[in-house]
Formats: sequence, C-alpha cells, structure tokens
Amino acid sequence: MYISAIFITLLIGSIIAFLCRTREQARVVAVIFSFIALAISLLMCLKYDPTKGLDNFREFYYWVPSVGINYHVGVDGIGLPMVLLSTLVCALCAIYAWGEEHRANQFFGLLLLMDLALVGVFVSLDFFLFYIFWELTLIPMFFLIGIWGGPRKDYSAIKFLVYTHVASVIMLLGIFAIYYFHGKATGVYTFDIPVLLSAYQSLPLSQFWKDFIFAALLFGFLVKMPAVPFHTWLPDAHVEAPTVGSIILAGVLLKMGGYGLFRFLVPMIPNASSFFIMVIAIFGIVSILYSPLAALTQPDIKKLVAFSSIGHMGFISLGVAASLLAGDDIPRILAHTGAMFQMFAHGVITSILFGSCGVIEHATGTRIIQDLGGLAKKMPKFAFIMVAGFFASMGFPGMCGFIAEVSILIGSYPQLGKLVFIAMLSIPLSAGYHLWAIQRTLFGPYNEYLGDLHDITWHEFVAMASWLIIVVFLGIYPMPLFDMMRATAEQLLALIPQGGIAL
Amino acid sequence: MMFSNLLLPEAIIAITATVVLILGLFLKDKEVVGPVSILGIVIALVLTVANLDAREAFQGYPFYNAIVVDPLAQIFNTMFLIVALLACIASMKYYEKNESLDEYFMLLLFALLGMMMVAISNDLITLFIGFELASLSTYAMAGFDRKDARSIEAAFKYFVIGALSSAILLFGISIIYGLTGSTNLSIIAKTLPYSSPAMLATLFIIAGFGFKMALVPFHMWAPDTYEGSPPVVTSLLAAGSKKMGFIAAFRVIILALIAMKIDWYIAFAVIAVVTMTLGNLAALVQNSIRRMLAYSSIAHAGYIAMVFVVVAHSAKAAELAIVGGILHAFSHAFAKAGAFIVTAMITYIFASKIDSIDDYNGLGKRAPITALTMAILLCSLAGIPPTFGFYSKFVLFLSAIKGDLLWLAIIAVLNSAISVYYYARVIMRMYWGKPTGEKVKEPAPYTLALIIATLGTLALGVYPSPVSDWAYAAAQSLIGGL
Repeated sequence: MYISAIFITLLIGSIIAFLCRTREQARVVAVIFSFIALAISLLMCLKYDPTKGLDNFREFYYWVPSVGINYHVGVDGIGLPMVLLSTLVCALCAIYAWGEEHRANQFFGLLLLMDLALVGVFVSLDFFLFYIFWELTLIPMFFLIGIWGGPRKDYSAIKFLVYTHVASVIMLLGIFAIYYFHGKATGVYTFDIPVLLSAYQSLPLSQFWKDFIFAALLFGFLVKMPAVPFHTWLPDAHVEAPTVGSIILAGVLLKMGGYGLFRFLVPMIPNASSFFIMVIAIFGIVSILYSPLAALTQPDIKKLVAFSSIGHMGFISLGVAASLLAGDDIPRILAHTGAMFQMFAHGVITSILFGSCGVIEHATGTRIIQDLGGLAKKMPKFAFIMVAGFFASMGFPGMCGFIAEVSILIGSYPQLGKLVFIAMLSIPLSAGYHLWAIQRTLFGPYNEYLGDLHDITWHEFVAMASWLIIVVFLGIYPMPLFDMMRATAEQLLALIPQGGIAL
Repeated sequence: MMFSNLLLPEAIIAITATVVLILGLFLKDKEVVGPVSILGIVIALVLTVANLDAREAFQGYPFYNAIVVDPLAQIFNTMFLIVALLACIASMKYYEKNESLDEYFMLLLFALLGMMMVAISNDLITLFIGFELASLSTYAMAGFDRKDARSIEAAFKYFVIGALSSAILLFGISIIYGLTGSTNLSIIAKTLPYSSPAMLATLFIIAGFGFKMALVPFHMWAPDTYEGSPPVVTSLLAAGSKKMGFIAAFRVIILALIAMKIDWYIAFAVIAVVTMTLGNLAALVQNSIRRMLAYSSIAHAGYIAMVFVVVAHSAKAAELAIVGGILHAFSHAFAKAGAFIVTAMITYIFASKIDSIDDYNGLGKRAPITALTMAILLCSLAGIPPTFGFYSKFVLFLSAIKGDLLWLAIIAVLNSAISVYYYARVIMRMYWGKPTGEKVKEPAPYTLALIIATLGTLALGVYPSPVSDWAYAAAQSLIGGL
C-alpha cells in the first residue's frame, strides 16, 4: 500500500496545487505533499527487507487482463533508493523554488506531477505501466522548460520531447517483441516484468531478435542517460530549463536510463550477444572521456555542469558492463554496487551543482563564467556550499561520489584491465575543469560590473545544505544504502551464469 | 423475428430526423430542434450500450439476411453516436442564429443514420445505400455556410470526388455480383472465387472506400474539405464519416482478403506506409490548424490501414490487429471530433474562419478549458500516455510485431514520434505564446462537448479494459463470421 499511497499523495497534491489561486498557497501545498511522499519513502526504507527482493511492497491488481496488462508495483534494492532519490530531490526542489513567482500554481503542480511520474518509473513491474510513467515524465519537463525556460526554450523543449520520445518508442518495440515471443513460447501473453524477465533467458529466439530486442532497449536507455553520441538534447535542455527543471532532469530523470540497465538489461544479458557488454562499456568510457573535454570549453557554467553529468553517468555504464564480464565475484559485485550507488550519489551531488548555477543566475543575472569572478567575497555562505558541491562532483574523498566512483574503478579493473586506465585519464581532466570553474567564478578579483550582490536566499540555502549533508553523510557512512544495493546486486548477478560472461 | 430492439437505435435516429424535419416546417422558433436531436441521439446511444455483445443476423423477412447486429456494428455505432452527439452539441452554438437550423440537424441525423446503416449491413447493396445516405447528407453539410466561398469549394471538391468514388465502388460491387450471383457478404465469403475479375473488383472496392478513409493516393480532397467546411461539420466528417469508410473496409476488404487468401500485404503495406508518412510530413509544415489536423487525420488513416497489412500477412495476428484498428478508430474519433470543435471555438473567438497557428498563442490564459482539453486531445492523437490514443496505438503497433512485421512497426513508431512535433507545437503556442487578446468567455455548448471528448479520452486511457474487451468480441465476430 505504501507505493500507492505515494501516488495518491502526489496526485492529490498536484491537483490542489494547480487549483491554488496564489503562489503562497501553491508553495505550501507543494512542500507539504512532497514531504509526505518523502516521509513515506523513508518509512519504506526502514521496513525494507533485503532478502525479499522485488517482493517488497508488492501490489498487484488486474487492469486490462485480455491483453495481459496489470497494475503491478514493487521495489528492490535499486528501485527503492531511486524512489527515495526522486522524492528527496523533488521535496527539496519545492523548498528551493519557494520564491518562484511566475505562474507558481502551475509550477508546483508540475513539480508534484513530475515526482509522481518518476516514482512510477522506479516502482513499475509491468511494462505497460512502466512505459506510461516513462512517457509521463516528458510532459511536466516539457512544460517546465517551455514556460519557465530561457530564450531558446521553444527549440529546447521540443528537441527534448521529440528526441527522447523517439528513443522511447524504439524501446517500446523491444518490449513488444519480448511480450510476443514470451507469449508464443509459453502461451501466456503478459507484460509482467518479473515473469517476462525470468523467462527471458530460456526463450527460443533467433539471433536477429535477440540482438534487436537488446539493442532497442539499450538505445532507449542510452539516450536517456545520455551516452555520447546520443547526448545532444541534454545540454540544450539544461541551458534553457529553469533551475528546478535542471535539478530534476540531471538528478533523477537521467537515472531512468541507468535504472533501465539494472532492471531490464542485466537479467536479459545471458540471452543476448556478448558483444553488447563491450558496447555498454565503450559507450561508458567514451562518455567519461568526452565529458571533461567538452566541459573545459564551456563558457556557460550551467552547460559545464550539464556536461559533467554525462561523464558521471558514463561511470554507471562502465560499472554495469564490468560487473557482467567473467571474473571473481567480489570485484564484480563491487562494480555493480558502485554503479548503483553512483545513481544515488550523482543525483544528490548534481542537485547541488545545478542549484549553484541557479543561485548564481538569480543573484548576478548571468551564467557566463567570464562575467563572474570573486563571488566568494560577496556571497560567503553560497561559496562554501558551491565549493563543497564541486569537490563532491570531482570525487573528493569523504563524499559519496568518491565511494561510488572508486568502487566502480576498483571493481572494473580485474575484468576490463587497461580499458579502466583509459577511463581514469578523465580524473585529472575532471579535477581540472571543476577547480578552474570554481576559481573563475568564486575567487580572484571581484567583477565590479556585477554591482552589489545579496547572498544566497534562505530557501535556496536550506535545500542545498540538506543535499550537502546527505552527500557528506553517505560519503562517510554509505552503509545504509550500500548494503541495500549490494544485496540486490548479488541477486542480479546470480542470474548471470558461470560467474560472468566471457568475451 | 420481425423486428428486434437491437434495431431500435437506428429506428430512433430515423424517427428523430423525420420529427426534426416536420418541426422545422411548422415552428417559427427553430431553437428546439437542437435539443430534440440530442435527445434522440442520447436515447439511441443508451439503447446501443444497453444491448452489448449482441449477435443477431436478421434472416428472412423483412431483411433477407441483409442486416447483422454484432459487436463490431455496435462498437462503431457507439462511436458514430458519440461523434454525432458532440457535433450536435457544438452545432447548437455554431448555428445559433441560422434560419435553416432544422435542415442542418435533419442532415446531420440522416448522415448519422447512413453511417449506422453501413455498420450493420451484411449486404453490399444495404452498405452502398447507407454509404450514399451518409455521403449525400455530408456533401450538403460541408457547404452549409452558403455565403462562404471556402465552404462551397470544400463541398464541391468533396462531392465530385465522393461521386467518383461511389461510382468506382458500385462498379466493384457489380463485378462481385456477377461472379457470385449474390450481394450478401456471408455468401460472397463462401463463394468468391480466386480469379482476376475478383481481384479487380477488390481493387475497385479498396479505391471506393479509400476515398472515404482518405488513404493516399485517394486523399487529396481531405485537406481542402476539412479546412473549408464549417468546423462542426468537419468534426463529423473526420471523426464519423471517415470511420464509416473503415467499418465498411473492415467488413468487405478483410472478408475478401480472408476469403480469397490473396497475398496482397505488400500492396497494403505500401499504402499504409505512404499514407502515414505523407500525412505526417505534410502536417509538419501546416500553418492552419484545421489543415494540420486534416493531414494528421490522413496519417491516422495510415496507422489504421496497418490492420489490412497485418491481416493479409499473418492469420495469427489478425484478431489483435482488428482490435487495434477498432480501438484506434475509436480513440481517433474522440480526439479528432474534440480537436475540430476547438477550431470551432477559435472561429468563435476570432469571429473569422481563416485559422492560423498564431490564433492559439496564449490560449491557455485566454480560454483555459479549451486549451487544456485541446492539449489532452492532442496528446491522445500523438499517442502520449495516459490517453486512449496511446492505448490504441499500443495495441495496433503490438499487432504488427505479432504479425512478424517489425519493419512496419518501426516505420509506424517513427512516424508517430515525428508527429509529436506538430502536436507539441500547438501546445507550446497555447501555454507559452503571448496572448493576442483578453480572456474570453467560452460558450457552454463548446465547452460541454470538449469536456465530454476529453473525459472519454482520459477515462478510456486509464481504464481501457471494457472497451478493449468489447473490441475483442467485435474482432471475433468479424473473423468468426466468415
């Protein structure tokens, strides 16, 4: 009942927010309902039983039985952290956006709707339901970019919508094919995800269909993550999106792609061509290398942060691929758990980064790095949080990004060998662009053209400080989440025969 | 049985049409004909829905097996009745001050009767008569704005092409009669030989229905007619009259395909692919929303035409394909009827029949209900969940995969993805374009019709199970009856 309770809370909250007349009402509604959702997901974390896997909080109701569509939801050690991440980021976004003035009721209504759609993606255990939520995430984001976005919002909003929609429909074809071949082989036509995935390994498929199904799903997820070269919608969307839109986009929406890898592709790997594992690894490594190079050249701090996301998401692909290859169990599980942990860690860290961009834009009216400089003198509180956030993103020990990326790199090395060294080339580059960005914006001589600046507002501070506390807490004591993910990683990897797949 | 309550809906529509005609002769104040028509349609709708899952062929006197009321007929009749209801409600506002109100509603009801006749006919002659009844009424309706040159042009184009298609259709029917000695569909299904004249006849029939369905290359009348006709009439044409082409095609073409076992799937595939692609590409560049919707209508005809491809290609997927086709026709009927009523609302707001995408700027502020319903209906047309349009497309494309037609499914989903662009463009204009004027009062009839269409789209999108099961029954009755 917990999951449905989140849905109902957010749906009611969203409707009430839309109906609110003033922004004061709307923001109170948004904060209350998003925090109720967060409280429910925290409660779920407390009640979670790692041994039960997907049976946790499972709910099942018939929906369209003639086609095999059911309302089926449940979470495991990857779904639950993602639910927590969605509700956490959205709840803090509601606080962050406390000062929103333009069409506030619609803004907060869309925020809660976005929360609903994201939670839905991470709990669905029926492909139809999953796809509905998957597509539903596009609509609030389309409006967030379009109504509250920057000067080129029309172009960016529609590029975001069409680009990711194309990827979704290709993925849908893959889902259709699984449904059909499962029905043909067993006589049971169903969209139920656990049923389909557990039967998938033994489905008699021709080589073409094996490759097609896997490639179609992989394409859908890679575009969402996004992996180079399918990333071009992301910088455009980020540059034009309002700050909250960017936070949700980078913090949670991209994780849908990573989640797809864990939930669907890992269990399907034994019935796919083994070269796909290398495909995932290469996409990951290329993204990891491309991202700092692109970020170094960006004049706009928000675009810089957008490119940093691509690299961090690349680590997830790398970790997943490495954990599937033949090798010892311990590094494989470590890589897999690290990739899962990166999903959560990056979600929180990038929220601080995009929050910082928002604060800069709010205070100075510009995001162009050259026009900034010496902000730390005028905005000491903000400078502290931004520096901490950038260090976390860089992979500074003691913060959760470090735990995730180190686990991935250590766990990948035994399987991938030299390829990991190539990925590690990005570490100095990554440190470089992070430090250089901080240096040019926060430190150095103060740019007098900016006039007299006010420091970060209290609501922005509360939201960003909360994220920062989580980042540090999980950096020092990652065990609550790490153990939960580890149990699921072991269960997932147990599906792969003979200790991994040899190339 | 001489007469059955299964035929009551048709009878009630016929009686209402006559009553409206007579009322018009005697009444000075003709306002009452609108509510009378609506009442008739609502009663017929209730009676249709109350007698679901019927299967009765009227053998012997008085219909000589020419009429069959099965789930397929009922689901299409429900569709026609809902569309006509929406068009009626909207027309009460659009033709508020028209002195020929009675004639308009009479024509509308007879058009509806014609469509319902097509749905229940089990005989080519009955079918043809229903087809003509609906066509003749809608020709007159398309030109009902007598003083508007574009309306006249629309009606004229529609009439000329429609007359031609009727002739071609009749030619095909006559060949079939020559081959089998019967016009009854059940007999034809059993006796139609696989021969070149039979294939020629099928070709003619496809062409005849193809005009109504606006399949490429028989589509060229549609954009002009949809743009020029009064918008409330267009909603009936696009959502109702076009679906009449599909029910006729389902009954006759699928029968011919299955009876003769001809391997024409490549031909149908070409038609379907070209239709959807051309419709979508042309819709991308339109500035008139009515024209954009017309091209989108062509694209949707292309999606529904996938049914013929799948049926011709693979017997095992035939049932699912027909289910998908019926559902898609249904969802498209809701969404298109609503969308064209929105264009009627725009005509009202701007007091001009020339429509452009600029009219939609800031509509979200000026006319919030219209904008919200339009956005949801466009999402349904684009196939974005959780709307009925998504579910129907889902089933339709699923059937293509089931029928081993992966390439067709890929082309279809890519088409569907392209189409998101031009629907989203309108939504963008409505919600973040600069308003071109003050907030307007939205007339109640339009709003009511829009809310009905939108609620239907959303309700069936969230819970499609009843209508989905019904469509399964319809598909089984179609396949099983052969």
